[in-house]
Amino acid sequence: MDINVRIAGEAGQGIETAGEVLAQALADAGLYVFAAKSYMSRIRGGLNWYDIRISDQALFSGKENSDILLSLTAEGIKTLQGKAGSQAVVIADKATAENSSGCNCLDISGTAKTAGGSKIMANMVAAGVVFGMLPYDIEALSQQIRQAFDSKGEEMVKKNLKCAESGAELTKGLSDKLLFPQSGGADSFLCSGTEAVGMGALSAGVKFASAYPMTPATGVITYLAKHAREYGIVVEQAEDEIAAVNMVCGATFAGACALTATSGGGFALMAEGLSLSGMMELPVFIVLSQRPGPATGLPTRTAQQDLRFAVHGGHGEFPRAIFAPGTPEEAFKLTRKALATAHTFQSPAILMMDQFLADYVTNTAPLNTAYRPIDKQITTSPGEDYRRYKITENGVSPRAVPGGDALVKADSDEHDAEGHITENLSIRIEQHDKRMRKEKGIIEDSIAPMRYGPQDAQELIINWGSSYGPCREAVDTLNERGHGIAMLHFAQVWPLKTEEIKKAIQGDAPSWPELTCVEGNSTAQFAGLLKEQGIIDSRKPLLKYNGMPFTGIEIAEAIESD
Amino acid sequence: MSQQETAWCPGCGNFSILNTFEEAVKKAGIDRRNLVLVSGIGQAAKFPHYTEANLFNGLHGRALPAATGIKIANHTLNVVITSGDGDMYGEGGNHLLHAMRRNIGVKAFVHNNQVYGLTKGQASPTSEWGFHTKLQPEGVINAPMNPLAMGIIHDISLVARAYVGDREHLREMMVEFLSHEGGFALLDILQPCVSFNKLNTYQWYSERVQPIGSDHDPCDRQAALELAGQWEDTIPTGIIYRSEREPFESLLPALKEAPDGLCEKS
Ligand SMILES: Cc1ncc(C[n+]2csc(CCOP(=O)(O)OP(=O)(O)O)c2C)c(N)n1
Ligand code: SF4
Ligand SMILES: [Mg+2]
Repeated sequence: MDINVRIAGEAGQGIETAGEVLAQALADAGLYVFAAKSYMSRIRGGLNWYDIRISDQALFSGKENSDILLSLTAEGIKTLQGKAGSQAVVIADKATAENSSGCNCLDISGTAKTAGGSKIMANMVAAGVVFGMLPYDIEALSQQIRQAFDSKGEEMVKKNLKCAESGAELTKGLSDKLLFPQSGGADSFLCSGTEAVGMGALSAGVKFASAYPMTPATGVITYLAKHAREYGIVVEQAEDEIAAVNMVCGATFAGACALTATSGGGFALMAEGLSLSGMMELPVFIVLSQRPGPATGLPTRTAQQDLRFAVHGGHGEFPRAIFAPGTPEEAFKLTRKALATAHTFQSPAILMMDQFLADYVTNTAPLNTAYRPIDKQITTSPGEDYRRYKITENGVSPRAVPGGDALVKADSDEHDAEGHITENLSIRIEQHDKRMRKEKGIIEDSIAPMRYGPQDAQELIINWGSSYGPCREAVDTLNERGHGIAMLHFAQVWPLKTEEIKKAIQGDAPSWPELTCVEGNSTAQFAGLLKEQGIIDSRKPLLKYNGMPFTGIEIAEAIESD
Repeated sequence: MSQQETAWCPGCGNFSILNTFEEAVKKAGIDRRNLVLVSGIGQAAKFPHYTEANLFNGLHGRALPAATGIKIANHTLNVVITSGDGDMYGEGGNHLLHAMRRNIGVKAFVHNNQVYGLTKGQASPTSEWGFHTKLQPEGVINAPMNPLAMGIIHDISLVARAYVGDREHLREMMVEFLSHEGGFALLDILQPCVSFNKLNTYQWYSERVQPIGSDHDPCDRQAALELAGQWEDTIPTGIIYRSEREPFESLLPALKEAPDGLCEKS
């Protein structure tokens, strides 16, 4: 049992604040929520909305249709009323609404003026209206409002509380026909992918972060900046992404645990630096939060279009590890794993998110954020004739850092074992092979895909990254309707453990299952990689590239109607 | 000195820089284990391989961000860039500007031969008006960049110029820079390229280079700008500008609490 609440308005009306306050209040009341924002690349005007799906069971996806739609602008009603279910309650602000059918006009901005003294507070009236329609104790909302406005003083807290209370009073009888989930035992901790990556990085011992702002990656670096004092880290806004990645190369060379975060356009500028980290064998960690391209694309929307770019980006050949978490909780774990992998194999690691995973929040079991720095595997006894790029069997050479007894030499040119520039072609082969040997270790250490659903399923969804949740919901829906379907979630997309993956796809199915690859791009990039690696042959792609995330319902419908 | 064979042409000004550097490191009493030489790509940028120190020979144009990362990660290291004019002023021009804004505590020795040596003789950002190359057959039509004036305008800690033909003076400058403990320090070193710059030769420089008189006050910004602008008949060498501005790293709360740097070995 779930319902989807959507509040809409233009940029600058505080829709996001209202949404966040509501989402947390509902989680505090013990409900499962899945809350996602949908916004335009502008600071004022336009149409933004915030969805809060509420349930008595864990949620993994949003929903396209809303059961309650509240819009502060006429534009919101016009665009979104069509996506309200037939039983939905649609609420408009009297001040902006034209007399359209099926729409309840409430005096939201008027109430904001009388209760709060300004129509700016219409967002809190709206929050009150929504909460007033729901059968949960409104004290949860009041608590959240107190917290949200605490820093602005008692007066502001009072006004906003009054707005929410007055809003709740406007709703008598409005929602009588709706059914609501029971409040119960959900974890009240709401977490986004962005926060999870930040927490993972801090707990893993990241001490330096450098980045250039770019949606949807900016949140990661802002999160780190907010906690910089507490964790004793340096966060620097670089002059461009080239500087950001080269600073991280320098910092890791010197021995710090460091990261940068960007989106596709910035990653393009980092390509040469990524290649440098491959050549110098530096544990560089890049958070790549995708949005639709090419070029500037759709800055505030979501996509999974940069997989091939992450796998192949950077000139020359060098090993790398690429992770793609499916939930905030997994983003936390994989941030730590990616940093550990980068340090173990002295190779770059990339964590791929997207606007969807970066921004949505959902109930998350408490994360172990205690400071548990990863082992940087720096040698403290390099010895007399230390050579940074000593040839070893697994390709990993002892890593010392400058300032100790040994001189540490790193070169972007091909180099000998000591780190000096060379054009000796047999040394070139030795060093190249040494670097490439590390890939074997990365593969052995990689994360196997995770199956959800019956072991013997003849139908299998393949997903990577953020579409995990929507796919999981689709699997449940389809199996309730009598399908025998499972999914394989790839949280690590490179390098691939070929034979194990084949076995995982086969499961206990009597014959090779029918595969549907769900991806947020138009060319089925991951399916292409699997094919290239000889893992799969034919598959049906289920692709979406309009900038919006998948929903469980649409995946289930697409598979069912096939 | 290292065992590495140099890749420089006989007669190149880089040899004087290398020999003088070795003397200066000794004179300044620098512990090489604590010294990190950072460079980009170019003939000058090969410099770190020819001496003994930690070295980070990074990407073309990116010596400054790498050095910035190293300094932030471990501010107890003595971080010195030795790279070319194309590398530091051309490909890395944006980083130069922002390193100046930061006043990051690294020292940059720019081997300024007013040409791209490694790629066989194209114009660099400091090439003279009208300088002819195979790529600029009609001569350079862009104004030469003035990195020293840029440093003064952005109030970096130390701005100076030296010339390889006056080794004693160059050594004095290097000693001062190697021992310097403040923010960003830029030493532009005039270095003839015997293979690709037939205009700015040893003779050309020798006729113009003139040590700055003792009456110059490096803390006087206007006077410093005046000196930085001189090029035609006389080219002043020596400390042009000095500022008391605090280095970037001293303003970072995390570093105040981590006197040994951010690199605890675990
Ligand atoms: C990204 C990139 N672009 C271009 C080059 C080619 N390149 C190498 S060195 C150089 C110019 C070097 O000039 P300078 O820094 O003045 O050094 P010099 O050889 O004169 O000492 C160029 C263009 C490169 N290595 N990398
Ligand atoms: S090309 Fe010029 S700068 Fe390079 S080594 Fe030869 S003389 Fe020196
Ligand atoms: Mg040059």
